[in-house]
Amino acid sequence: MLVRVLSVPLLAWSAYAAGYHNDVRPILQRHCQGCHQSASKQGNLDLTTYATLAKGGNRGPAIPLLLDYVTGKRQPRMPMGGQPLGEDQVAILRNWIEAGAKDDTPVESAALTKPPVYDQAPVINAVAWSPDGNWIAVSGYREILLHKPGGNGPEARLLGQADRIHSILFTKDGKTLIAAGGTPARFGEVQIWDMATRKQTRSIKLTEDTVFGASLSPDNTQVAVGCTDNSLRVLDVATGKELQKIPHHENWVLSTVFGINGKRIVSVGRDRAAKLTDATNGQFIENINLLRGELSAIARHPTRDFVVIGGEDRTPYYYRMDRPRVMKIADDTTLIRKLEMQPGVILALAFSPDGSRIAVAGAAGEVRLYDTETGNKIGALTGHKAGIYTVAFSPDGKQIATAGFDGSVRIYDAAAARLSKEFLPVPLQTRSAP
Amino acid sequence: MRFLVPLFVTPALLIGAEQLTFLKDVMPVINKAGCTSGPCHGAAKGKNGFKLSLRGYDPEFDYEALLYDLSGRRFNRADPARSLMLAKPTMEVPHGGGLRFEKDSRYYKIILEWLRTGAPFGDPAKDKVVKLEVSKAEFFFDQPGAKEKIRTTAHYADGATRDVTAEASVSSNTPDIAEVNADSVIETKRKGEAALLVRYEGKFVTVPLTVLNPKQGFTWAALPQYNYVDQLIDAKLKKLHIQPSGLASDAEFLRRVSLDLVGVPPTPKELRAFLAEPGDAKTKRARAIDALMKRASFVDHWTVKWGDLLQNSRRYLGDKATWGFREWIRDSIASNKPYDKMVRELLTSRGSAYENPAANYYRVMREPKLSMEKTSQVFLGVRMVCAQCHDHPFEQWTQNQYYQLSAFFAAVGLKPGYETGDEILYLKRDDNLVKHPKTGRTVEPQYLIASIGAPPIPQAGDRREALAEWLTSKNNPFFAKAIVNRMWSYFFGKGIIDPVDDIRASNPPVNEALLTALTKDFVERGFDLHHLIRTIVNSRAYQASIDANEWNEDDHINFSHQMPRRLSAEQLQDALFVATGSRPHFPEVPEDTLAQQLPDPHVGKDGFLDLFGRPQRESACECERRTDLSLPQALNLVNGGDIATAIGDPKGAIAKLITAGATDRQLIEELYLGSLSRLPSPAEYDHAVTFLKKGDSRAARAQDLLWALVNSKGFLFNR
Repeated sequence: MLVRVLSVPLLAWSAYAAGYHNDVRPILQRHCQGCHQSASKQGNLDLTTYATLAKGGNRGPAIPLLLDYVTGKRQPRMPMGGQPLGEDQVAILRNWIEAGAKDDTPVESAALTKPPVYDQAPVINAVAWSPDGNWIAVSGYREILLHKPGGNGPEARLLGQADRIHSILFTKDGKTLIAAGGTPARFGEVQIWDMATRKQTRSIKLTEDTVFGASLSPDNTQVAVGCTDNSLRVLDVATGKELQKIPHHENWVLSTVFGINGKRIVSVGRDRAAKLTDATNGQFIENINLLRGELSAIARHPTRDFVVIGGEDRTPYYYRMDRPRVMKIADDTTLIRKLEMQPGVILALAFSPDGSRIAVAGAAGEVRLYDTETGNKIGALTGHKAGIYTVAFSPDGKQIATAGFDGSVRIYDAAAARLSKEFLPVPLQTRSAP
Repeated sequence: MRFLVPLFVTPALLIGAEQLTFLKDVMPVINKAGCTSGPCHGAAKGKNGFKLSLRGYDPEFDYEALLYDLSGRRFNRADPARSLMLAKPTMEVPHGGGLRFEKDSRYYKIILEWLRTGAPFGDPAKDKVVKLEVSKAEFFFDQPGAKEKIRTTAHYADGATRDVTAEASVSSNTPDIAEVNADSVIETKRKGEAALLVRYEGKFVTVPLTVLNPKQGFTWAALPQYNYVDQLIDAKLKKLHIQPSGLASDAEFLRRVSLDLVGVPPTPKELRAFLAEPGDAKTKRARAIDALMKRASFVDHWTVKWGDLLQNSRRYLGDKATWGFREWIRDSIASNKPYDKMVRELLTSRGSAYENPAANYYRVMREPKLSMEKTSQVFLGVRMVCAQCHDHPFEQWTQNQYYQLSAFFAAVGLKPGYETGDEILYLKRDDNLVKHPKTGRTVEPQYLIASIGAPPIPQAGDRREALAEWLTSKNNPFFAKAIVNRMWSYFFGKGIIDPVDDIRASNPPVNEALLTALTKDFVERGFDLHHLIRTIVNSRAYQASIDANEWNEDDHINFSHQMPRRLSAEQLQDALFVATGSRPHFPEVPEDTLAQQLPDPHVGKDGFLDLFGRPQRESACECERRTDLSLPQALNLVNGGDIATAIGDPKGAIAKLITAGATDRQLIEELYLGSLSRLPSPAEYDHAVTFLKKGDSRAARAQDLLWALVNSKGFLFNR
């Protein structure tokens, strides 16, 4: 290690072998990955990891082939349309390949060992109540914080790897906590936690970006997540195995929900569609909505196959999953009703546990409550300083927890629509002067 | 509702340093790094799921996109250095847009520090740029090769200033004269003029640049100045060391001015009379101009131009209304209707299109936004179309203004009339139709630019009256200027601002004083188009030769000599009738109807006229009329049936001359005068005589001679 630090200039290459992680990867990252990455994959080649580099693309394994392309021995010379690599950079690549092209990528530590220190409250993407109502789980940065609804400060901090947690779910028995998220443009992750021991029992990595809008099947055996590769994936909670990879969306999938019997999933996303899919075989059934704006949130009625969806066009739409008549073109017969247009983009939706109320939250920093049967507005929860990303009813339906961009968790009395408690879920420490 | 307030500011950090704000510090970095450019995240649909406003015209939108989108995905408040908005441009994670700046570079540090200190938006009342100032108002270089750095200072709303040279974008409109590199250094390449466009945070300023001819020995040789046009052109030429060309010959002049005023070249008889006329060039030519402007063909020729601009075509209007609209245009030209009155009639028209043909103006567009786009392009020379989706990148026009101006036309309704094919323009009751695409709300009409004496806009009813009054007012800075510039281009092949219907700060006039003086004169004369035409064609500049001298051979923009212009389709066709003596017979119109008398492009479709670029009137853009030269055109002239038939017409010019017993001299001179509008030189005459004597058929030989003449550049060009 000391040798590497000292050998930054081009001295004594013979004595120093270039490594993948510290020497080769930065060159590929800067000059090659714009085109050769999972999102674009020119020539079917992905140069973002050692494994994909070794696997190669249309022309076969990229080791040692890439040398010929960067030197121009093979055409087109790479980087295509850009400045050719400098001699010292080519020397690094050659040196590494000649020395056996070893992979020295360090194993990224699975989780933090110490809780992160905050000088600003992180954006909160998820809050969830435990089924017994004794816990509120709040997303932090690379951790999940467990709070007592009446307590002060976190009782437990579940340290994980993902920078961002987009969804937190509890199994019905309250024994397992499932978190889904990831680190943007790096990886997606589903974490399974044992609530008794507060230990992570499983980390499932999937895709190269965060996953969104996780939901549990009613029998708690499966979890569905939306992905940035436009797929909807269904995982087995017990084994972590991917059961389905469902490719029907045309853009990122941002939220999911299972039907009552667990055999169907509705997913929404940036392609504006709410797609009904057979969860048992991944088959597309139909779009249940007319395409309007991008969709970011969906919630299902607790006892019926009715869903409310919302997003960019600021209007919550209440749909039935089953079509009463044979579908015709531009048919919106599944629509039960539209709720009023919101003051901002919709980002979070929730039904009260008895299904009588719908909570709508979004970019405008206000939660509005509606009567499910009439669609009438029955209240508004105010006090947020910025957009709300998550809203959750307590299991008894008496309280509503919200959180979002401003980093505070707020608990409201649902009937009175009154703020009963507000707290920062993380301890703040003043940032030391630079 | 938007939250643009800092949520968490840690004041301890700010001691001794100004708080960085998005508006003042971060947005310029994002623009300079190219994130908001058209091919990248500034694209209409963004890039790879991330959209920013084009060139950062909407900082609020960009702020929200960076901080709030997808639940704060691009921003990590707990560990700002791990924010996606920093990992992407530094290529720490794969980024299709490549490396935008290095980790730990100045730009990186600005964004990081801003994130660390609470990522505030800033206060538009303080942090918005209100004005740009450039180190010099005008750049003047003695010779090519000189370099100079252009420094830009931004003035903010709170009175603060900052040197923003590093982040300002400077571009040259003529890079082969002067280029500006990434460090804002001007590098001059060759003599000439260019305009530099300096942009920073939605504000822009244009700076003229001149590179003098490095050649030594220039002495100004004064030429007679016929009117103020020449004074103003000469003033600039003298400064630039450009010697203007002298007058064209009388024959050249008469051909040029006839084509430009009445659309057809002079007949041999007219030419002989003019050449024989005594008197000095200036008075003699002025007399000829007055005579031409009184001819019926003057109305024909200008009716074609207005028919193009107003898109008079049966495709939109039907057969009968097209003829009706044509009559309305002819009346306006023949009576020299003041231009402001003519435009007011069009803009406020209503009722039956058969009874009030001006209403046909709206029947072409049929929709408020299109009516607005056309009205602004034709009568103001302003292209608003970019602003439909985003603020205009090179202009002051905003997306709001696009809809505000469109709203004036919201009440225009069309319904079938009582006669077949007629339509009635009526005012709709529900006139709240123009909605802003972002908010979905109805947009209230608003003038594009405030001008003195503009009437208050009524709450309801026909707002077009108010619009017409504002638009045609002498205080409107665009209206008169636009038509003056457009008319000028008809006589020089190029506007003082060019393209003529793209007037904007980044497209400055080549001679502002000239355009201003012409505009002032035009307005003072009560928007008199005939006076304007007369002023232009009586100038020495208009009457100048196309021959250049060593000092003006490279000048194509300052009107130091005339430029040859290819005849328009109609001019070419009608010139062929003059040259060959053949009579026109177009379908659906009476015998002897000339090409320039046809009502619309429906007549003679897909024939000779369309081949030579007659516009189909699908847009109001001057650019729709093609003036280029193509191989099919050349082949048609060489081999085409139209030419052969006209030349060989048994009742044509050659047949008549031979039957009348014309001598060789008479025959040859007539053919030269009819086609090239001049007499043959002695050498040409000798050639022609020898040629005529070869072979048995004198008529066939004469036809060959004429064929050669109409295939020469002297015939095809207005010169």
